[in-house]
Amino acid sequence: MADVNIALIRDVLDLLLIDRDGEPMGRVDGIVMTWQPDAPPRVTHLEMGGVTLAQRLPRPLRPAMLWLARALSTRARDPYRIPVERIVHVGRHIQIDLDASRSPARASEHWVRDHIIGRIPGS
Amino acid sequence: MKRLLEISLGVVTSIGGFLEVGSLATSAQAGAAFGFQLIWAIVLGTLCLIFLIEMSGRLAAVSKKTLAGAMRERFGYPFFVIPLVAMTVLGVLVLASELGGLCLALQLVTGVSFPWWAPIALFGAWLLLWKATFGVIEQGASLLGLITIVFAVAAWKLHPDWSAVARHALPSAPTHEKARYWFIAVSIMGASIAPYLLYFYSSGAVEDKWTESDVPINRVTATIGMSFGGLLSIAVLIVSALVFLPRGIRIDRFDQVAMMLTPVFGRTGFYLFAAALGVACFGAVLEVALSMAYMMAQGFGWRWTEDARPRDVARFTLAYTATLVAGGIIVMIGVDPLALTILSMALTAALLPIAIVPFLLLMNDPRYVGTHRNGWFGNIVVCGIVGIAFVIAIVSIPLELLGG
Repeated sequence: MADVNIALIRDVLDLLLIDRDGEPMGRVDGIVMTWQPDAPPRVTHLEMGGVTLAQRLPRPLRPAMLWLARALSTRARDPYRIPVERIVHVGRHIQIDLDASRSPARASEHWVRDHIIGRIPGS
Repeated sequence: MKRLLEISLGVVTSIGGFLEVGSLATSAQAGAAFGFQLIWAIVLGTLCLIFLIEMSGRLAAVSKKTLAGAMRERFGYPFFVIPLVAMTVLGVLVLASELGGLCLALQLVTGVSFPWWAPIALFGAWLLLWKATFGVIEQGASLLGLITIVFAVAAWKLHPDWSAVARHALPSAPTHEKARYWFIAVSIMGASIAPYLLYFYSSGAVEDKWTESDVPINRVTATIGMSFGGLLSIAVLIVSALVFLPRGIRIDRFDQVAMMLTPVFGRTGFYLFAAALGVACFGAVLEVALSMAYMMAQGFGWRWTEDARPRDVARFTLAYTATLVAGGIIVMIGVDPLALTILSMALTAALLPIAIVPFLLLMNDPRYVGTHRNGWFGNIVVCGIVGIAFVIAIVSIPLELLGG
């Protein structure tokens, strides 16, 4: 990506992720940074998932929402982390070089499809 | 020519889709209890709605983002949860009201009590959402909704004192039953300024791929369409005032409202009322269920569109299904539809600031609407009316609940 200034909270957090095929793959629920000795902090991943979202809520709401997120979680990996190297473009949406339908970002969508909606005739 | 067609279609859609159980019930109650005196509440509510609908179309056309999506991005998830929860609870209550209205229309025609109709009505609505595309739902419901014009015809035929009607477009203080007066006033405003409409409208605009060139058309259709829609609400109030007030009929139950067209159209009037109520409520059920699904899908970044096969938008489909079922349960346990409607509408007014204040901030943020920012006039009108509705709501709801 070209050298641009991006304000993480304003321009990245909560934005819509768009996959390779132009399909929505969720929103940026969290941003992961790492600190290594003798180096400036670096943004490494975008994070997605109910657990991440629950942790952003005010403290009194957190335990209940964490419990709910874990109970509803259908992902093998929650939170799911997308390496920043996969970011193609940050603008109106965030373009990601991944196939959403093969990523854990769609796990709950697939679960609902396979267990509920897909079982109704004519779906 | 194409533009003219687009504008006419937009106007027809707004008129046919305007009346629903909320505006019908609140206007009818207002007319029966206070004559023309509460017309100002419809005028204020409609004026506010015109501005808000225009804004939500403009937001979508310029930013290509829906209201729910933009709200989460601009204010962050922890804030977004507040309108999400508030609007979901309200959405289920409003959906139950609309579904109740639909079932009552069926009860009027068949004589079979309304809770029994709930599963059938629910399934019908769900099947249509499952099968039909956005265009079919929006335009189909609105075209059928044009039957609500019978209220305007009835009002005209009853020869009201038009100067008195015009006089009450401005607020006046009540002479009797002060608490009831303000409670109905705020219910009327809540019924007019329905927040779900804003989510629905902005989603439709994104679904139809509006661009900045649609901004002027949107302004025209929103203004003309919603104005005529508001006139229909006023017509309901006028008919109710002329039919019920002189006979001393207080409206406590829906089947009383059903008689409002009989003095004008005779026996046919009864069926016209049932048809108008049923069609208007059915359209609203579809819109509310879709709005809730839109809001959730957009807030969480799911795939959403009413034009895909259900299995390709599984969570979106589950969201409207769940909303319908939740509303259906409320109707099936037999909650009084009229009381539920009036209370939902008053509650809407009380919760308006949660939905509208962040929306106004978005509409003034150049990062979302660029040079198409709100003017000062729109900001003041919306802030003022929402403020008035909110103040009346928090004062009159407790009074009504305690008194009733």
